[in-house]
Amino acid sequence: MIPLSHFLIIGACLFSIGLYAVLTKKNAIQVLIGIEFMINAAILNFVAFGKYDKINGGGQMFALFAIVLAAAGVAVALAIILNVYKHFKTIDPSKIDNLRN
Amino acid sequence: MVEFIPFISSSINDTLASLAYLESEIVLVAGFLLVIIIDLFFSKKLPQMSFGLSMAIVLIVLTQNFTLLNLNPQVLFGGMIVLDHLSVLFKILFCLVSLIFLLFIRFNKSLQEHGKGTGDLYAILLAVHLGMNLMVMSSNLLMLFLSIEMVSLGSYLMVGYISKDSKQSEASLKYVLFGSVASAIMLYGISLLYGFTGSLYLQGPSFIAGLQNLPQLPLVLSLTLVFVGIAFKLSAFPLHFWVPDVYQGAPSPVTAFLSTGPKIAGFAVLIKFLILLQAIGIASNAIFTVLAMIAILSMVLGNFAAIWQNNSKRMLAYSSIGHTGFMFMALFVLPGQGYKALIFYMFIYVIMNMAAFLILDEIEDQTAKQNIDEYSGLGKQLSILMICFVIVLVSLTGLPPTAGFTAKFFVFSTALDAYNSSGSSVILIMIIVAALSTLISLFYYFKIPLNAYLRESTDTEIKASISPKTYLSAFLAFLLLLLIVFPSLIEQFL
Repeated sequence: MIPLSHFLIIGACLFSIGLYAVLTKKNAIQVLIGIEFMINAAILNFVAFGKYDKINGGGQMFALFAIVLAAAGVAVALAIILNVYKHFKTIDPSKIDNLRN
Repeated sequence: MVEFIPFISSSINDTLASLAYLESEIVLVAGFLLVIIIDLFFSKKLPQMSFGLSMAIVLIVLTQNFTLLNLNPQVLFGGMIVLDHLSVLFKILFCLVSLIFLLFIRFNKSLQEHGKGTGDLYAILLAVHLGMNLMVMSSNLLMLFLSIEMVSLGSYLMVGYISKDSKQSEASLKYVLFGSVASAIMLYGISLLYGFTGSLYLQGPSFIAGLQNLPQLPLVLSLTLVFVGIAFKLSAFPLHFWVPDVYQGAPSPVTAFLSTGPKIAGFAVLIKFLILLQAIGIASNAIFTVLAMIAILSMVLGNFAAIWQNNSKRMLAYSSIGHTGFMFMALFVLPGQGYKALIFYMFIYVIMNMAAFLILDEIEDQTAKQNIDEYSGLGKQLSILMICFVIVLVSLTGLPPTAGFTAKFFVFSTALDAYNSSGSSVILIMIIVAALSTLISLFYYFKIPLNAYLRESTDTEIKASISPKTYLSAFLAFLLLLLIVFPSLIEQFL
């Protein structure tokens, strides 16, 4: 059996990779992929911990809901990115800075 | 599997009994579906039907919530939801926010003239309202995360609803990216909390016991990650950077909504975690110090940055960061006391902030002016509107004779009580900073009447017309004057 710590290490790595992508990538869709990494790190944690919560199965439940919410969030974000592309002809967040005083 | 069979009937009975307390949420769900269907089939013939329907739904929800006041705390759905007096007060606040927001959308020119129509916006509002209601009632981490996401997704859609120009789409992009990152970090924190305790029930004994046995480092780490998500909703100090851009770019009604509804719901969630921290038995001094630091930094940053703003919406965005810091002061209550000062402040804050954005929007509709230095001479041209604006700004500063003074007074006295009982110097510094920042806020709020009344207009005469938004803002300004004379109108419910 794979011990719990292995799952947690992979989760922590995924979370860090995701955060790194969010902070460095110059493309809104790549940032979204980074966010997806972070969410999936949390989902992996939930499923791994949920194995030890046999009575309630709360972890697995939470993972299912989180997957659905992540999909909904990505759908909204992609629609917004499409709108931004229409106006700016780029999706580099660092170049989109019309709003200032 | 077999061992669960005896529990089925009792859990069904519990669910059925709980449904009776959830009438207002059921009405919101039904209304959400109804508004979508009506908008789909009747939007050509009866364009304002979805507006009337959503108004009716929010009014029904408001009356239902009034009947639930002074209720003993009810644990519903096996501990998923706890309905108590405080959450009912929050739900009434949300009804107020939704009502003003609906009227604001109805009379906003740019939203009404857009080809897409506003029917979907009303439907999204009802869904977000449902999410906020669940946020203040949830006592389970799954319920909490679901409702927070419900509010977030709806708000992203509202900000980018028309995306008529590059500014609006930029605001929605920033909001959705920052918001998703904040909620992903929060989700990771929740997963750690679940792993440490094996339970998702915030007030459950195993959750509290699990956190009590935890070493300090993992406890602080996981709670900090969760706090990131909450602070994003509150627009409190470390996570305030999205506020000015999003508030400036979003359509004015949506800005008014974001600065009130989700922020208030975020405070309700924060209160849940504060109660949890007290139950774990962390020294209250440590919690108070962290909270006071956030309050001080939010107030200083919000108020100082607001001085340099010329765009009026951006100025109000920074001032709303300052107000968040001020509301943190009302969280310093002694154990056993309710959050009366906080709720009272929020009622007044909703009225005055909504009114301020209504007036800004009306000025923009009539004169196409967005910057404060262009407001010169408006005092003569839009006289009624500008008188209301002055009353609202006096109230935002917190001076008599407006209810903003009463609200600030309650918050100050709550914080002073906390200082007298604990003697913590951080709280004293916070109170001093709050007093100073009230003084600073005079400078930027009063730039508007200064320009409007004392400087002559250079451009041609504007034909002023009195619109429904003027009446609405006059009514709200009147409420602010009324509530300083009769604060008991709100206080009796607290």
